[in-house]
Amino acid sequence: MKAIAGDGLPVEVLLVEDSPGDVRLTQLAFRDANKSINLHVAWDGVEAMAFLRREGTNVHAPRPDIILLDLNLPKMDGREVLALIKADDSLKIIPTVILTTSDAEADILKSYQLLANCYLTKPVQLDEFEALVKSINDFWLTAVKLPHQRQSE
Amino acid sequence: MTEVYDISMRKKAEKHLAQMEGRRRLAEEALRESEERYRMLLDGIQDYAIFMMDPRGEIVSWNAGAERIKGYTAEQIIGHNFSRFFPPEDIARGRPEEVLRMTAASGRHEEQGMRVRQDGSRFLASLTFTALRDAAGNLRGFSEFSHDLSESKESEAKYRGLLEAAPDAMVVVNPEGEIVLLNLQAEKQFGYHRDELLGQKVKNIIPEGFAERLIADALRSAEDALAQQIGTGIELIGLRKDGSEFPIEIMLSPLESAEGILVTAAIRDITARKKAEAHLLRKMDELNRSNEELGHFASIASHDLQEPLRMVTSYTQLLSKRYKGKLDSDADEFIAFAVDGANRMQRLIQDLLAYSRAGTKAMELLDASSEKALQHALINLRGAIADSGALVTHDPLPAVLADERQLSQLFQNLVGNAIKYQSSGVPRVHISAAKDGAKKWSFSVQDNGMGIDPQYFERIFGMFQRLHKREEFAGTGIGLAICKRIVERHGGIISVESQPGQGSIFRFALTESEAKS
Repeated sequence: MKAIAGDGLPVEVLLVEDSPGDVRLTQLAFRDANKSINLHVAWDGVEAMAFLRREGTNVHAPRPDIILLDLNLPKMDGREVLALIKADDSLKIIPTVILTTSDAEADILKSYQLLANCYLTKPVQLDEFEALVKSINDFWLTAVKLPHQRQSE
Repeated sequence: MTEVYDISMRKKAEKHLAQMEGRRRLAEEALRESEERYRMLLDGIQDYAIFMMDPRGEIVSWNAGAERIKGYTAEQIIGHNFSRFFPPEDIARGRPEEVLRMTAASGRHEEQGMRVRQDGSRFLASLTFTALRDAAGNLRGFSEFSHDLSESKESEAKYRGLLEAAPDAMVVVNPEGEIVLLNLQAEKQFGYHRDELLGQKVKNIIPEGFAERLIADALRSAEDALAQQIGTGIELIGLRKDGSEFPIEIMLSPLESAEGILVTAAIRDITARKKAEAHLLRKMDELNRSNEELGHFASIASHDLQEPLRMVTSYTQLLSKRYKGKLDSDADEFIAFAVDGANRMQRLIQDLLAYSRAGTKAMELLDASSEKALQHALINLRGAIADSGALVTHDPLPAVLADERQLSQLFQNLVGNAIKYQSSGVPRVHISAAKDGAKKWSFSVQDNGMGIDPQYFERIFGMFQRLHKREEFAGTGIGLAICKRIVERHGGIISVESQPGQGSIFRFALTESEAKS
């Protein structure tokens, strides 16, 4: 088991999000949930792909344990990022969680068709948002078993 | 010596001769009188044209009726061929010769047909031709005995009056598809003079779809063929004399006559109606598009508004959480207002979104369990039910034709209201359904709440309509507007029965599911 929270290694989370307010809220909520998290932020889809492919200044970027992906992003939107991730043999095993304000049926369906690992809508109420981030931590970063990809590299 | 002759024989002979002469004179006189009477008789007949022709059809006698009906005097016509009474197209196809041939062959020939007067006008005539032969059987000529069918009959005059008075163009057509009668409106509509149309094929003014209906196929009688068309408006295209086309609607009715079954067609110019229909279609199209755009706009606006609103809500809540009691009491109050305002705006946007979805989403009415929809609503309301201790009960509910999600939303809003608008005591809500007619179910949601003054019955279903101060009951005033929209989208009407202090019953009807459950 990749006991992320307990194996001494920090947990690497890539947050793809263009709203500074949301980034800050997510940081605060993760800090409350899990002290050993390294939260990396990509502000648009292009940055996210550069980070994942370790291009340019991202040569030493760690491989994330989980990707939190917003759908509406500048330059390259979340759907395109999701499609690229899931088409890439080494990236597609990284759990990719859609975290967005949209609760449109079409967005939900499209995301799962593109093999999103789960789809979450951002709650408006602060306490609900905090609870959601905690549940992401409890499930994706604690309960689930993931392949030991990181060690094999 | 004087010869003496017995002249008694001669006297006898002379007397005999004189007698003979007298008789001859008498006979001649009688004959003359008889001929005179005969001529007087023929001349006295005004209603019938009676004349004789030689074997080639050249006219040898002419009566007053013929003069009146055909318009020629005896001087004008005697010696001319009778073919000039036929319309040019009949002359062209040798009809006059044919008539004589047929008459000669059988001794007698009857027909009804169009004839032309001296002034060129046409009329429908009924004619009888007789072959005249001497004792040896040699053909000496023909007689024609005819009358103008379009005049002098009282019933026909009445019919004609009726025809002329009709507001629509009326055309009477014989089984051969020829126009035998028409009214002023028909002349006006098609731009012809009456005489130009009489005897013409109706195809000339209604190129398609009419003449075909007159000709019965082999399996059906003309009456049967027509019976199917009677009373139904058939939309066709009319062709004016100037070549322009216009949309018409025709109604057919059969008319029995000596000629067989005639067809009366009432022809209505539906140009204006067609224009109005096209206009209506265009407007509906525009309306649909505009509704679609509006729905699209509402949904985008709501989604895009959510983003910044989430920021306001989250951060004011964060402020409140972290700094409440650490700043002064004014700051606490200001933050509380900001939090409350953001929360209300949030609810408003969500309700607007729900309202817009209830109206713009393509409706798919499927077999839906109304009981399941209610259960789903009650799950969403479990917080409110637990907080208020409400007792929500229901009868077995039927399967209906509905969008189950919208039905669930409907129940959620109605039951939610029933729980919310309570002055005191434990809310009791009961949902039931009763069969209403063959295919309808009438649902009711009854509560023991504060009730509604009847003067507000209309108003409560309107957008943003609220009856209470915000401090009494929170709400956006959209909930019942959503209910109304959902019920209307399902083809029903929502209504309320209530008295202040007596609770309320909200009713709506839905169509029964086609699949029998």
